[in-house]
Formats: sequence, C-alpha cells, structure tokens
Amino acid sequence: MIRLEKIHKFFGDHEVLKGISGHVAQGEVLAIIGPSGSGKSTLLRAINLLEVPTSGKVCIDGVCITEGRVDIGKIRSKVGMVFQQFNLFPHMTTLENIIYAPIKVKKLPRKKAVALGKSLLAKVGLKNKANTYPPHLSGGQKQRAAIARALAMEPEAILFDEPTSALDPEVVKEVLNVMKELAHTGITMVIVTHEMGFAREVADRVWFLDEGHLVEDSASQTFFKSPQTKRAREFLEKVL
Amino acid sequence: MILLDFERIWPSVPYILEGVQVTLAYTAVSLCLGFVWGMLLALCKVSSVNFLKWCAGFYTSVFRGTPLLLQLTLIYYATPQLTGYTISIWEAGILTFTLNSGAYVSEHIRAGINAVDKGQMEAALSLGISYSLIMKDIILPQAIRNSLPSLVNEAIDLIKESTLISVIGGADILRRANIVASEKYLYFEPLIVAGALYYVLIMILTFAAQLLEKKLKTT
Ligand SMILES: Nc1ncnc2c1ncn2[C@@H]1O[C@H](COP(=O)(O)OP(=O)(O)O)[C@@H](O)[C@H]1O
Ligand SMILES: [Mg+2]
Repeated sequence: MIRLEKIHKFFGDHEVLKGISGHVAQGEVLAIIGPSGSGKSTLLRAINLLEVPTSGKVCIDGVCITEGRVDIGKIRSKVGMVFQQFNLFPHMTTLENIIYAPIKVKKLPRKKAVALGKSLLAKVGLKNKANTYPPHLSGGQKQRAAIARALAMEPEAILFDEPTSALDPEVVKEVLNVMKELAHTGITMVIVTHEMGFAREVADRVWFLDEGHLVEDSASQTFFKSPQTKRAREFLEKVL
Repeated sequence: MILLDFERIWPSVPYILEGVQVTLAYTAVSLCLGFVWGMLLALCKVSSVNFLKWCAGFYTSVFRGTPLLLQLTLIYYATPQLTGYTISIWEAGILTFTLNSGAYVSEHIRAGINAVDKGQMEAALSLGISYSLIMKDIILPQAIRNSLPSLVNEAIDLIKESTLISVIGGADILRRANIVASEKYLYFEPLIVAGALYYVLIMILTFAAQLLEKKLKTT
C-alpha cells in the first residue's frame, strides 16, 4: 500500500536520505530502526509529505503523491500519524481533538462523530477523559488520545514516530499495549522505535536505516536472530 | 505661592468627563477594527505567498516608521483633496487609528503564531485538515491567546494615542480639558483632571492585563 522509489532528501546540501526504495504491504507492521540522525523521522514524514522528498516517488495505494495534481489532504486522511510530542490541540477537549477532523474533513455528522470518538476513547482506556483538556492529561494518556485521534479518521495506515520516547518508563507499556492491540487488525503500521522488544514481538518486518541508507530490509524474526549486515549486527549488539 | 482653584472648574468637570466616552469610543472601535485588520496582515506575513508577505511587511514598516500625528493629519486633510469626500473627524480618527494599530497588532499576532508549536500544524496536516481550517480553528486560537498580553498593551497605547484626535478637533478628554482651560484661563486644574481620568482608565486596563496574564499562566 506504501511504495517508495529512490527517495532522496536534502536539507541544504546535507543529504539525509540517500535513495531509499521499499514497499509496505496492506496490513503489515513495519518497524524502522537505526541510530539517531540516520533519517528515520525524515523518511516517515516523507510518506505523508510533511517532508517533501528532493527526488523520488512516494505512492499510496498506487497514487504517486509526489507527482503534483494530487489532493494531498485526501491522502493524508488515509494515512494517520502519531508524534513523539503527541501534538494534541491544547485548546480542545480530548473528545474534540478526536472528532474535529472526522467532522470537518470527512463531514461526519456530529452525533456520529461523538459516538465514534467515545468508542475510541474507551478503546484506548480514556473513557472518563472525554472532557479533559490535554494539558491535564499525563504523557501516556496524551499519547493514547493522540492514537485515538489518528484512528478517528479510519486511516488505512498509521505512521508512528518514536511514540514512546517522550514518556516516563512506567507508562511506556500502556501505550505499547494500545499499539499491540491495533497491530494485525488490518491497519498498516509503520513505527519508528527504539523499543527493540516491542519491534521484535509486534513487527512483521524491520527496516534498518544508517546514514540515510536502507541498509537492511528483513522479516523481523530474521533481523533479530541473524541480521544480514554487519552494521545492523553492530547496532543490535549496542542496543540489546 | 501656587494657588489651585478647582472650585472654578468644578462646573466644567462633567463636560470633561463626557470626553471619557469619546476617548473610549475611539479606542474601542479602532481596537476591534485594528484587531481584524492586524489578523489579516499577520496571516499574510506567515503565508507562503511572497507577494503577500512583502506587502504586509512594507505596510507595517510604513505605519510604524512614520509619526501617527502625520498619518492622522494626512488622512484628515488630504482625503477631501484627493477624493472630494469630506471626511469627518470621527471617520478620520477611526481610519487612522485602525490602520495604525493594525500594523502593531499584526506584529503581535505574528509573534503569537510563531510561538505556536510547529507540531500543531504538522498534526493537523497529518489529519488531512485544510490550511484555512488549520489557521482558523487550531493556530489562531492559540496565537491570539499567546498575544493577549501584548494586545492589552496595544489598547493602553491606543488610549494615549487617541489624544491626537484633539489636534483635528475631536472632543475627547484632552480636547475638552483644553477648552475649559482656555475659557477659564486656568491650565493646571483642567489638565490635572484630564490626566487623572487617563490614569484611571489605563490603570484599570493594566490591572485587567495582569489578571489575564496570571490566568493564562495557570491554565
Ligand atoms: N528540518 C530539518 N532541517 C535541517 N536538517 C534536518 C531537518 N530535519 C532533520 N534534519 C537532519 O537530518 C538528519 C536526520 O534526521 P532525522 O530524520 O530526524 O533522524 P532520526 O529520526 O533517525 O533521528 C539529522 O542529521 C538532522 O539533523
Ligand atoms: Mg527521529
């Protein structure tokens, strides 16, 4: 469902992505790992064009969104995103955060949106936080709310950029559990993460990035048992 | 020995007090219109259209880079000459103060927009929300909240600057005090009354601003 072809990205004359090609199938859970600064976030953000690649193609469901004349809003509502810093809208209640886009973008009637929002809040364990403003939520609650917000658009895929890196260790698990429940329900997930245990357990595949190259693209089992490249091996030795 | 003769101006105090309404009317109307105008200018400044950016920037530099009194007299005296329309004192005042405070307000709101976390725009974009809706419902509400303290300061400036209307004959507090002064050949007393009125108005606003700032900090 997501196809990348020879993605290059320059910031000034600093080449951050050096020709990345790959494919993510519908319903697949892909973990992107690698040292910090290797371009993971930039690659993830290229998928919904928050970062426009300098060259190369990004195609979603066969529509190449890097080729102009595409309703990028429509594509973005099919591909949700969850950020390290949550990025909830602080002036809206948790429920409003969740139902805003379905109402304004998908033109869902308010009543239906509220029902959807409430069921999503229940799903992520925030049933009683509907009317709370994000500044009054804990980090783990914020991230679960952000996941619910992404889910409310009923996207085909969700991109996660280090969703637990800004969290206190004791709440990492509650967020990972929500993500685990989501995995293999048909939704495509692309997860940039440093949680190796989680990647090993949940991901179908792993992309290992280093210095802007996609160094290794393996089944998760293979990758963690016997990485094919020396650089991936060295990386795993350091982090495991 | 200095002799103060407040008794002689006592009958004129209600006349000066009526100026409060006039001063507040100029301030409030210009502030509201200037707010809307400033918001539009700020949107131009943060847009990705270079032409709009440049226009808004140039506009601001002109209104900040020339004296307000010059702007006011130019609009009041040159409008009839250029357009044949006889502009009233009220219209000239409101127009000038609006155009001028719009320039300042636009800078406050622009700063407020820039202070909104970049992640807000990205999160909204990632949900497929359009730029105009993002601005209206997500960025501006936060930006305006960020710039509220400076907007109150803008109101305080406007109260003081509105005295310039007396130069072209607007019957505000200052103008009325001056009229009383020249009728009674007494200068200190009426001007002190006017000064006290301005001071009270501005202290009320300052106090409101402090309350507001405290409230914004805690929520
Ligand atoms: N907006 C930007 N402007 C300039 N350089 C950037 C920008 N975003 C990222 N970079 C640079 O690109 C490189 C890769 O960043 P990133 O994709 O965030 O890596 P990762 O997520 O793997 O840590 C880093 O060297 C970073 O400094
Ligand atoms: Mg990153």
